[in-house]
Amino acid sequence: MKTAILRRVLSAVVIFTLALSLSVIAYADDGDFRTLDEIKDSGVINIGVFSDKSPFGYVDENGDYQGYDVYFAERIGQDLGVDINYVSTEAANRIEYLQTGKVDIILANFTVTEERAEEVDFALPYMNVALGVVSPEDAVIESLDDIGEDDQVIVISGTTAETYLVKNYPDIKLQKYDAYAEAKTALENGNGAAWANDNTEVIAFAIENPGFTVGIPSLGSADTIAPAVTKGNDTLLDWLNEEIEALGEEEFFHADYEATLLDTYGADYEDTLVVEGGVAAGTDAAAAND
Amino acid sequence: MQSLGLDVLFKGKNFVRLLGGLWVAVRISLISVAISIALGLIMGMLMAGKNRVLKAMFRVYLEIVRIMPQMVLLFVVYFGTTRVFGWNLSPEASAIIVFSFWGVAEMGDLVRGALVSIPRIQYESAEALGLTTAQVYLYVILPQTFRRLVPLSINLITRMIKTTSLVMMIGIVEVLKVAQQIIEANRRTSPNAAFGVFATVFLLYFLICWPISRLAGYLEKRWA
Amino acid sequence: MDFEAMREYLPLFKDALALTVRIGWQGVLLAFLIGIACAIIQHMRLPVLRTVAAVYIELFRNTPLLVQLFFLYFALPKIGLRISAELCGVLGLGLLGGAYMAETIRSGLESIAPIQSESAQSLGMTGMQAFRYVILPQAVSRSVPGLIANVIFLLKETSVFSTVSLMDLMFTAKDLIGMYAKTMECLTLLVVFYLIMLLPVSVLGSLVERRLRHAEFGP
Repeated sequence: MKTAILRRVLSAVVIFTLALSLSVIAYADDGDFRTLDEIKDSGVINIGVFSDKSPFGYVDENGDYQGYDVYFAERIGQDLGVDINYVSTEAANRIEYLQTGKVDIILANFTVTEERAEEVDFALPYMNVALGVVSPEDAVIESLDDIGEDDQVIVISGTTAETYLVKNYPDIKLQKYDAYAEAKTALENGNGAAWANDNTEVIAFAIENPGFTVGIPSLGSADTIAPAVTKGNDTLLDWLNEEIEALGEEEFFHADYEATLLDTYGADYEDTLVVEGGVAAGTDAAAAND
Repeated sequence: MQSLGLDVLFKGKNFVRLLGGLWVAVRISLISVAISIALGLIMGMLMAGKNRVLKAMFRVYLEIVRIMPQMVLLFVVYFGTTRVFGWNLSPEASAIIVFSFWGVAEMGDLVRGALVSIPRIQYESAEALGLTTAQVYLYVILPQTFRRLVPLSINLITRMIKTTSLVMMIGIVEVLKVAQQIIEANRRTSPNAAFGVFATVFLLYFLICWPISRLAGYLEKRWA
Repeated sequence: MDFEAMREYLPLFKDALALTVRIGWQGVLLAFLIGIACAIIQHMRLPVLRTVAAVYIELFRNTPLLVQLFFLYFALPKIGLRISAELCGVLGLGLLGGAYMAETIRSGLESIAPIQSESAQSLGMTGMQAFRYVILPQAVSRSVPGLIANVIFLLKETSVFSTVSLMDLMFTAKDLIGMYAKTMECLTLLVVFYLIMLLPVSVLGSLVERRLRHAEFGP
């Protein structure tokens, strides 16, 4: 009696495990990317966004993704007629996610650079950006030369700020973090002399956190932020470009700004930040400290 | 309350989200432990055998598990397999593979130890009674090793739950990532949220793992 | 594989190895000290301290290092306690490891029959002497396999240091992947460097273990 039960339990366990292992393996399909038609057929698009970068990509108290990038993502899903599966990314993983086909589009405040363009394909831009440095009010850093020998500058691993400082200021000591939430908390806690990142981001931080000032509002070259797809995924890239051009006619990104960024930046930054219809205007502006 | 940042936990669905994140961690561990037990039994039996080549292979496998951090394995499996084989593993599948890889090695070694410790005479007597090899294992040997293995596998569950805190790094939104998201979304209104939220996460892990490891300790003493 | 890139990254990995080893060993040392202290407190059944030690051990054995580090590094400054990243790494590793070491040493102590302590005292030793010269040496040698396993476990745990901005091996690999997208090259270097760091410890551990068993039970 007892042994019969034991045998049944054992065989159940083995079958259960085999089934599990199989279902795990079944997750695996060939990597690369999914074309526009494949995405439409599956009914779901995977979009990589930040989940801890307010006000561009973050999760509100109800567990919903919000922010400037997400507002655009929602529209993409709507116009494609598919559901959106948001994938939470860290800065350093963004290229990896596209190259391994784990997401279809990266909409995680991704700055267009030459190095990155060799690895992924960028669509038309939807926002302007440069680098900026924020520091505590009582020890403002207004030039990178102000940074003392023992001071550390906080950066986030895998961002343009990191690459820029490593390349142009190899002597500045960097304190690197994985996630936005960690870097910001570290700055608040006084672990570093300043935080270098996209200027949009540091301006938002200074506005939201009394006691901090953006000493260097613009650094490096004026860049743009654009959606990115896996290299060679032309069907999706073309669709995105057409979409961005079409959205320009209805001033979509201005509406996006007003819905998501107005609270943080006020109306002053609207024309500086927003790129409408994929046409970046101010590329000649501010190539300050380069 | 305000100054310690505990208030953000009661905003919207925040606390439920934290618990949801914890469930993700527990689910990954339970599935991995189930796989580890089943495959570990088979591996242990093979290891207790006499095949030298198999034994040498298992030694290498055990050594890899012993010295490679789980975090490294997670990265290798999640990003590496896509690069080399073109597999597109979901983060959760990668986590389960890595945790099972670790668990099977531990369980296999424990089963081997338990099997070897059973006196030869039991095998011989059972065979003398006319049982086949499969029957010997199923009716005589395995039931005896079970008692020793149950507390150890329960222990493995808690260690896996604790290790799941790493899967945040390959994009799984578990309790720690939810904690970061909450802190980030409330940075303006409650700047001290980091204290309350991380303290809560610390306690949540403790409340899950402590009873389980007590149970394992109790069974170990009772069945020893 | 791009070997040129790998050669370029090599110095970075060497720095990371140095940092990992330095913080790792300081943490392990601290863990030993805390572990021995707690084990003695529990063995001697010192009032109050014994409860404190028990609570500490349970708390740190049942929570992940990553969460402990988050708490030490990001949460404590909110109530005015700021510690540097390196100290945080050492402290985190020491506190986590101390709880594990205490358990291992305690079970070593418990495995020594009480009659040994009684015999030693009947030979005229004080309780302290009996503990110091008779019980402790045996307990330590019996705990060695467990202690070595703990050391390896702790050195592996350094892989989560990236969250507190320490450039350990894991973070160096992740960071380079983020900047230059040479995934396979970085992952290969990562695995190789962990082997360099831990294989000797593992092999040495097995040797010591065999040696001790030899000393205790004869050939």
